[in-house]
Amino acid sequence: MAEATALTRTAPDRSAVYAWLQAYGVYAGVAVLLLFNVAFTDHFLSAENFRTQAVQVAPILIVALGMALAIGSEGIDLSVGSVMALSTSLVALYLGWGPWTALAAAVLGGVAVGLVNGSLIAFVGVQPIVATLALMVGGRGLALVLVPQLEDVRDPGMRNLGSGDLLGVPYPVLVTVALVVLVAFTVRRTTFGRQLLAIGDSRPAARLAGLPVRRVLLCVYAASGVLAAVAGFLATARLQASDPTSLGTLMELSAITAVVVGGTPLSGGRVRIGGTVAGAVLIQLLTATLIKHDLPPSWTQIAQAVVIVLAVYAARERGKR
Amino acid sequence: MQQVARRLTAAALLAALALATGCAKSEDDADSSKAGSGDGGGQVAAEPTKGAETCTAGRYGAKKLDLKKATVGFSQSEKEANPFRIAETASIKAEAKKRGVKLLTANAQSQFSKQISDVQDLISKGADLLVIAPLNSDGWEPVLKQAAAKKIPIVTVDRQINATACKDYVSFIGSDFVEQGRRAADRMIKATGGKGEVAVLLGAPGNNVTTERTKGFRDRVKQKAPGLKIVFQQTGEFAREKGQQVTEQLIQSKPDIDGIYAENDEMGLGAVNALKSAGKKAGVVKIVTVDGTRKAVQGVVDDWIHGVIESNPRFGPLAFSTLDDFTQGKKVGQSIVIKDGAYTPANAERDLSKAF
Amino acid sequence: MAAYALSTRGLTKRFPGVLALDGVDFGVRPGEVHALIGENGAGKSTLIKVLTGVYAPDEGEVLHGGEPVSFGTPLAAQRAGISTIYQEVNLVPLMSVARNLFLGREPRGRLGLIDFARMHRESERTLREYGVHTDVRRPLGELGVGAQQMVALARAVSVDARVVVMDEPTSSLEPREVETLFGVIRRLRADGVAVVYVSHRLDELYEVCDAVTVLRDGRVVHTGPLKGLERLKLVSLMLGREIGEVRAEGTTKFGGDHEAASAEPVLKAEGLRVPHQLHGVSFAVRPGEVLGLGGLLGSGRTETAKAVAGALTPSAGRVTVAGSPVRTGSPGAAVRAGISLLPEDRKSEGVVPGLSVRENIALAVLPRLSRAGLVSEARIDALVRTFMDRLRIKASSPHQKAGELSGGNQQKVLLARWLATEPRVLLLDEPTRGIDVGAKAEVQRLVDELAADGLGVLLISSDLEELIEGSDRVVVLRDGAVVGELTGDDVTEDRLMEAIAAAAEEEPVTEVPAASVPATSEDEGAPDVTPEGGGSPAGQLTPHDGESAAPDPLSAPQERKETPHG
Repeated sequence: MAEATALTRTAPDRSAVYAWLQAYGVYAGVAVLLLFNVAFTDHFLSAENFRTQAVQVAPILIVALGMALAIGSEGIDLSVGSVMALSTSLVALYLGWGPWTALAAAVLGGVAVGLVNGSLIAFVGVQPIVATLALMVGGRGLALVLVPQLEDVRDPGMRNLGSGDLLGVPYPVLVTVALVVLVAFTVRRTTFGRQLLAIGDSRPAARLAGLPVRRVLLCVYAASGVLAAVAGFLATARLQASDPTSLGTLMELSAITAVVVGGTPLSGGRVRIGGTVAGAVLIQLLTATLIKHDLPPSWTQIAQAVVIVLAVYAARERGKR
Repeated sequence: MQQVARRLTAAALLAALALATGCAKSEDDADSSKAGSGDGGGQVAAEPTKGAETCTAGRYGAKKLDLKKATVGFSQSEKEANPFRIAETASIKAEAKKRGVKLLTANAQSQFSKQISDVQDLISKGADLLVIAPLNSDGWEPVLKQAAAKKIPIVTVDRQINATACKDYVSFIGSDFVEQGRRAADRMIKATGGKGEVAVLLGAPGNNVTTERTKGFRDRVKQKAPGLKIVFQQTGEFAREKGQQVTEQLIQSKPDIDGIYAENDEMGLGAVNALKSAGKKAGVVKIVTVDGTRKAVQGVVDDWIHGVIESNPRFGPLAFSTLDDFTQGKKVGQSIVIKDGAYTPANAERDLSKAF
Repeated sequence: MAAYALSTRGLTKRFPGVLALDGVDFGVRPGEVHALIGENGAGKSTLIKVLTGVYAPDEGEVLHGGEPVSFGTPLAAQRAGISTIYQEVNLVPLMSVARNLFLGREPRGRLGLIDFARMHRESERTLREYGVHTDVRRPLGELGVGAQQMVALARAVSVDARVVVMDEPTSSLEPREVETLFGVIRRLRADGVAVVYVSHRLDELYEVCDAVTVLRDGRVVHTGPLKGLERLKLVSLMLGREIGEVRAEGTTKFGGDHEAASAEPVLKAEGLRVPHQLHGVSFAVRPGEVLGLGGLLGSGRTETAKAVAGALTPSAGRVTVAGSPVRTGSPGAAVRAGISLLPEDRKSEGVVPGLSVRENIALAVLPRLSRAGLVSEARIDALVRTFMDRLRIKASSPHQKAGELSGGNQQKVLLARWLATEPRVLLLDEPTRGIDVGAKAEVQRLVDELAADGLGVLLISSDLEELIEGSDRVVVLRDGAVVGELTGDDVTEDRLMEAIAAAAEEEPVTEVPAASVPATSEDEGAPDVTPEGGGSPAGQLTPHDGESAAPDPLSAPQERKETPHG
């Protein structure tokens, strides 16, 4: 996941700035928002507040990890929000057997959606954006068929997962940290990670080099599905209710934003996990800042758009290879 | 239904993944929470609107018929995925059964084009009268024309359509959302003593329900309790998750907030979640919500919610009595406001069964 | 002598770790065609990019008409009358030919709307001068690459350019189109336009250029008139080697014949068929043998290599390596069986440009260097070090992106990738195309060594000399079928040309499966003469007379593969 070479060889000064912005701008953005809040937001510097932000960012970040893999393979996964909905429905259906059974069902659901996505993309040759769009629409439909309306979570174990903590760190945050480490390790140190990047950078070349392109793509979307399902599971625990109507709506956009703002190019071939984490945190801080200062909600969307434009602008110079 | 869904998904998951983990024991896991059924004891009384426009069969040009022998078509807009819609449909069905009227129903699943064809379908299946819960206000001309040709009286419930009352349709029966906002304000003023700071969890942006419930609340607070300040207004998009998230931010930056007005129960329940996990005690922050779902009323019983203003979904009795009066040639109002109740700590426990 | 139209003084450009230009003085006069040559990495591209405003120099200045200028952007340079034609066409493929030609300066009618009629009329007239006869309303992308290049040229020249910079303009042109291009260049010269001409092809330089500047390692090592400069001298200037050395080693680096032992073939292809492309190709390669694959462009050489390597799925036929059959249509299976392909399209099918040199070399052997899916960095490092040394890959570090390397080094990276898999068969499709003389020699020497080590090598090259000197045996293809084979003393340029020519004469009776030939007999032997506007496929160029006298018989124009038929 290469922290990108900050300086490009062909870049004159101006595009070196863009390159720096693309690689580190997201960290600068996080720093600026933190400083702003410390200075101007009441009660910002408190353990409670950081807990709140961390817990809220958890689902976005987990989904963004899977999205980063998909984007790194020169694809995209629009179905993540619907997988969260499906996941929450499956949790509602299987919670009777305890949280672990429910988690297993949710994860299997994520795998199933991922495999369908992956098969359409790897074997049928459907464009990722189209293949996953189909499941974005269909997935939530299926979720609502399974559980037509919000259902409360009564299982004490599940409720504890959502609200409990270990040494002061909420469970969802622990899970998120573990997944970040796992995905970073996968990208950096495994054959799968290397192959994924090669496929994302140049699929024909990767194919001719004898890489198992289809298997890798299948795994990428399965992984994205699993991560979205875990995010759905955690969000369900947090909400203490299974709400397939609204859970995960527009999550795909938040995740894509986090990934792109974090410096992972949409053209594939590179995955920046550190950047993705920072990207998700940036979105969360941005939302939190605007809410805390009680600015009109539409501003949040506009602010997000501005951040995306800036990120894409910074990426532009480097994209021209 | 759940049992079936569970079995089907289990089969699908296991088959699709070829994970031979063995079939799970199929023990009966009946969930104790049954979705709100429509047979709750909610009787509805029309609020006589004085001096309001009325309509008669003669003016409308409808033929006379006996409601008992007629066929009524009901077109629901959204899928019955939330308590409000479930209760609404159930109420219509229950009232039809009670009166022994033949009822045809259709659900547009939130697709307007489907609702149009649903209604046309109902007409062609022989509906003599129509009750419509419209998804949109506009775009009804083709249906209205068709109904007019057959002189079929139409009553719309919960949402209005852009057409002329007593000409294109007979009357509209709905809630007064502004009034709901006002009543919520009254409760909030009472709870806080008219002083302090309150937050508003807005509904989905651009929605008329949001606008009206906000307007009623703000105006009443301004007028009756200048000491009560609205210091925070953020959207929770009518969803529990968003309500919870926004409240979490709110109580970090304004830990001393005195009250929260949530424009629907779901966001209010989200706020309760947030307060609980922040370690607040029940009743410290006064929450007032609108709708009247069972879970929210339970929240009043448990002292987490201070008051719930009902938005009555039980249009059945009122719709049918309107149609009955109309078909008998009596005057009916062109715009009928359904009476909404309220749940307070005083009556919540007693009236819990009435909540939907 | 006339003043320079465009010149530079003490131009220096640094990139991290590289001094790309080091005090370059360069100048081109009006009415002069000035060749700019040098090995890959010598700094030609950088110089051009500075001249045309893509890069800003670190030191020194660019003078335009004697005045120091600094073009912030390529557009500014263009406005100042400096046009550039790049190797790759950079026009808009989805827009019509005419729109592309007039992009940004469309003729306006009343109300400021584009006057399409006029634009189409003028486009047709302009393009005809460049030998492009096509419906200018069609999207540019439907044209062949050569024709697209011509449109780019016409566009560049028609914007009133005083200086035209051409970066390897002929690399995707047919010989006939090259002639047209030269005509245009001569006309530009007569009009007093200054032309900077970059090319690897020495023949072309001597044909059109007046002066030459040789760059090496970012410095000018020679500048002066081209006339009277011996070809060998030029090569030695580029390489920085003595003339005697160059002469002694010949122009290719292949050694003598290999002991093509009568051993069992290491690779056998039998009856390979790919619809419309291959019609039953069979051949065998023995260990230690270099088998050349001869034929005209589009005769099925690349397709044969791809079918063997699993990149194309044959509808029939089988491939065996040392007697065991290989599953066709799967590159993975081919790689596992020990078949490696160095593809013709190195940029899009060979290197993975965004990955480092290190990752590229290790790519195909990752599973072998991993345990339980975890890669061993230490083993990769060892492997990469070995191959970077052995193949003398020039990169600032193993972590440099492969896409940033010169063509020759990219090719070496690919070779390293394959050698790391310890292949038994190496398929080389145009292994030295587009790479500089030095790297070319190294690649050729390497192929020799590998064959000597017992690898079976299949060599495809449009460079006759390379094919003949490199191969022990040559199989000649035509229309996707084997039509001849040269062995022993018959492996000479003359005999190869004869074989191809003979095959061409037999052409009318060549057995091409009837099913694959459209009803309207597509006589591929003769140049495609399409009546104008007759629903012809993409941009046909006017055929010239004396087709057979085209300089390079291997890329004769009859096989315009990029022209979709029907």
